[in-house]
Amino acid sequence: MEYKATLRLVYLRFIVFISCCVTTCALAAPVYAETIHDSVGTHHFEQTPKRVAVLAWELAEQVIELGVVPIAMPEVQQYQQWVVKPSIPITVEDLGSRDEPNLEKLMQLKPDLILIGYPQSDIKEQLEKIAPVLYFNSYSKDHDNVEAVIWGFKELAKLFGKQELAAKKLADMDARIKFLGKELQQAFGAPLPKVTTLRFANTTSVYLFGDNSISQYVLKKMGFNPALPQANSQWGVTQTRLRELRKVGEGVVLYFKPFEQEDKLRTSPLWNAMPFVKVNHVNSVASTWTYGGAMSIGYVAESLANSLREVAVKSTKIKLDKTVVMN
Amino acid sequence: MIQRYCFSLLLLLVAVFVYLQIGVDVAPQKQWRLLLGLESTSFSEIEFTYARLPRLVMAILVGLVMGLVGSLIQQITKNPILSPMTLGVSSGAWLALVIVNIWLPNLVADYSAGFAMLGAMFAMGLVILISGVRNLSGLPVVLAGMAVSILFGALTSAVILTHDQYARYLFIWGAGDLAQNGWDWVQWLLPKLIPLLVFVMAPRVLSLMRLGHEGAAARGLNVTAYILIFFVSGLWLESVVITAVGIIGFIGLLTPNIARRLGARTSGDELIYSALLAAILLVTTDGLSIFLSQFVSDLIPTGITTALLGAPALIWFIQRQFKAQDQVFFRLPASAFKLNTKIWSLMFFVLLVSLVISITVYRNELGWQFHWPNEFSWSLRWPRVLTAFVAGVGMAAAGVVLQRLIHNPLASPDLLGMSAGAILALVLTTTFFGTSLNHFGPVVAFVGSLLTLGILLVLGRRHQFAPSTVILTGIALAALIETLVQFALIKGTEDTYAILRWLSGSTYRVEPIEALTLMVSVSIIFSIIVLSSRWITLISAGRGVALARGLNVNRSFVLLLMASALLCALVTALMGPIAFVGLIAPHMASLMGARSAQQQLLLGALLGGVLMLCSDWLGQQLIYPSQMAAGTVVALLGGTYFILLLLRGRMR
Repeated sequence: MEYKATLRLVYLRFIVFISCCVTTCALAAPVYAETIHDSVGTHHFEQTPKRVAVLAWELAEQVIELGVVPIAMPEVQQYQQWVVKPSIPITVEDLGSRDEPNLEKLMQLKPDLILIGYPQSDIKEQLEKIAPVLYFNSYSKDHDNVEAVIWGFKELAKLFGKQELAAKKLADMDARIKFLGKELQQAFGAPLPKVTTLRFANTTSVYLFGDNSISQYVLKKMGFNPALPQANSQWGVTQTRLRELRKVGEGVVLYFKPFEQEDKLRTSPLWNAMPFVKVNHVNSVASTWTYGGAMSIGYVAESLANSLREVAVKSTKIKLDKTVVMN
Repeated sequence: MIQRYCFSLLLLLVAVFVYLQIGVDVAPQKQWRLLLGLESTSFSEIEFTYARLPRLVMAILVGLVMGLVGSLIQQITKNPILSPMTLGVSSGAWLALVIVNIWLPNLVADYSAGFAMLGAMFAMGLVILISGVRNLSGLPVVLAGMAVSILFGALTSAVILTHDQYARYLFIWGAGDLAQNGWDWVQWLLPKLIPLLVFVMAPRVLSLMRLGHEGAAARGLNVTAYILIFFVSGLWLESVVITAVGIIGFIGLLTPNIARRLGARTSGDELIYSALLAAILLVTTDGLSIFLSQFVSDLIPTGITTALLGAPALIWFIQRQFKAQDQVFFRLPASAFKLNTKIWSLMFFVLLVSLVISITVYRNELGWQFHWPNEFSWSLRWPRVLTAFVAGVGMAAAGVVLQRLIHNPLASPDLLGMSAGAILALVLTTTFFGTSLNHFGPVVAFVGSLLTLGILLVLGRRHQFAPSTVILTGIALAALIETLVQFALIKGTEDTYAILRWLSGSTYRVEPIEALTLMVSVSIIFSIIVLSSRWITLISAGRGVALARGLNVNRSFVLLLMASALLCALVTALMGPIAFVGLIAPHMASLMGARSAQQQLLLGALLGGVLMLCSDWLGQQLIYPSQMAAGTVVALLGGTYFILLLLRGRMR
């Protein structure tokens, strides 16, 4: 009962709010006022920030995806090399390193908003002397990384008045991942294999993507369970020895490029003795940034799906061959 | 002797047998048949044949090479504490490998050993040039090696910090990892070990050399040529080993010492027995790291277990080996100047100019700018300027005290493991307790350096603080810590990068209150040291003189050492390790004519401060809009100056 009453109240207020808006709109230019939540608290904005400086890569991604071009960000060149998508307009100024962004340059650029991530959280007070600061801790052991980046994306959308765009992009991404999932489920047929993703450190050790990684989130969403579940960690990666991979059994192993020693690995007897290699349940994934913002989830999904599709084709061929032989 | 070899071989066999059983589910009989050529079918059999066996062979080969090269170097130089590690060779090779991997990745496959060799030769060349070919038997060469290691280490971390995405994958290698996937690396390594054949000649040459260079020359032996050949092949072997498995320290240093203790008398005996012992040691420690890996989720590289066992063993050996005080008196480099008011006013003028420059001159998009900072820039600049200057003063004073106490112009607080202790404490707390570096950093670092000082004092007390003991203990600690840092870096989380950043010695994150605290505490300790400069003068004249003048040598030694360590701890806790200032500022002071301890303290502190001030400012301008840490810049500047200075001294 009480719940309903509150709901009604909210509804009433909403009506009042809307009518107010409509009247004000009719009378004058829209009055902008937003309350934004970040990782530390709430912030009020009287107008949409125009000159945004971003000190963390994943946040740069978020605002660019929202159609907002930041005035400055750190390590532009390295970003272009590693993150690639979305690309950075050439007007964006370089602020030096992510750990030690150049504060004097930042000051001269006169931003009206600074977005920071965890590595800059300890210089927040100094940054606040330049402009209001929003702190989004995207990657942490203590929360769900995917939830955190999506939440940050939505808050930023609210700030820039791009809620509709954000909602549409998120919904499209969601639908696309579900579609890719269905397509792959058809390609593989039941039962679906379990899938694990990793990056190679060298030919004897790997970084496994586990709980709290974007990669695993995407796979689960597409219907694939992890073949080698790993405990929660800051970036969702755990380093381990190659031999541990044998536990994947006949599940699927996907590794992200770049990996310089790929050829060496292919000739390795130990690698070829892995059950998943024997049944051809292994493939590489095109270079994709796995520590990005909300939209990077979609990019990871596309890359993984492309790779999985190839695996499905190869393994059905093998199945067919086997049936032929048996017949 | 035969008994000793039989026993050791038996030990090796046992170690190998145990090694092959750890975490392997192939029965010993089956293992034997696999060894004889049975085709491996199951996964565990394949893993045995293509991962465990090559790893074992690698461990043995690497061990043999390390023991052999270690013994060779120690015999040639007649110095029981030399090894590729203490000669700076590993740091040179490592720097070269990091550079090739980052900038020339397509050359990695074919030429990395060559580059490692170049780096190793360069590092060792420098060390030998610094100490002089005829002075390889004493402590100075070890100090020179340490200095070169620090310089190269600073370069390496500067490179890694600016390329963290690539470097991520290099850390495992840096920590020394024997894990194998197939026989590729063994096949790669084997033909490159051919120079081992040269060592067939070694026993004869080395035993002739024991007669002394003249004696050997009298028997028609071209000593220099042989030494050169041996050194070059030794370096080559060490370089290929580092290329294959990364940095594994201590073994080459320890095993010849153990061999001698167990009664290896002749040259040949020592060479072969050291190699045998090293193989046993490496198989054992690698077995231990495989064993431990079964229980923890973290990767445990071989370098870690070797260092954990090696460092205490080295300290234990040092304790037994060096009883007597080194009879080296402090000798100031000759100076053409006399310290007069002219030099003082010049120095103050230089200080003033550098102060003005670091406050008013900076770069921006439009080029160089020169005007008084606005309120915001001022609030950013003054804590950095103050910290840099005070840090320079502190490290320089610590250096003067230490050099005079230890009677060695090459001593410096960063060579004694004081900074290393701070680093260790930080790495341990962030890696194992997961606390954030940014919040407790300074406190933890401070406790770390004080603990190291405590250990140094307890260990040093037994030998009346013989300089060699103090220095070698510091070196052992520093090497251990280096490995642990690499281990922590493997995890590659945000906090490990914070450690790396702190390691480069930056003033970026210094807050006003921290800068002021540093200034006050450094000023207090500095004044105390200046007031007690009579003690320093007496002790640097020699223990006997000091005792005769009625000085309680041990007590004042400990007090001064503590003051020096405190200065180092304070600076390191706030900024990270600052290398070379403590080493070169005292030198520059005496070059400019400072004779007495007091003069050297004051002038050295001034020079140190100015040096740091300039480095911090340069670091902020050089690669604008990025910044280089003051610690890195000063290591590069100071290291280069130091090496040039010593080279000039050699030329004369």
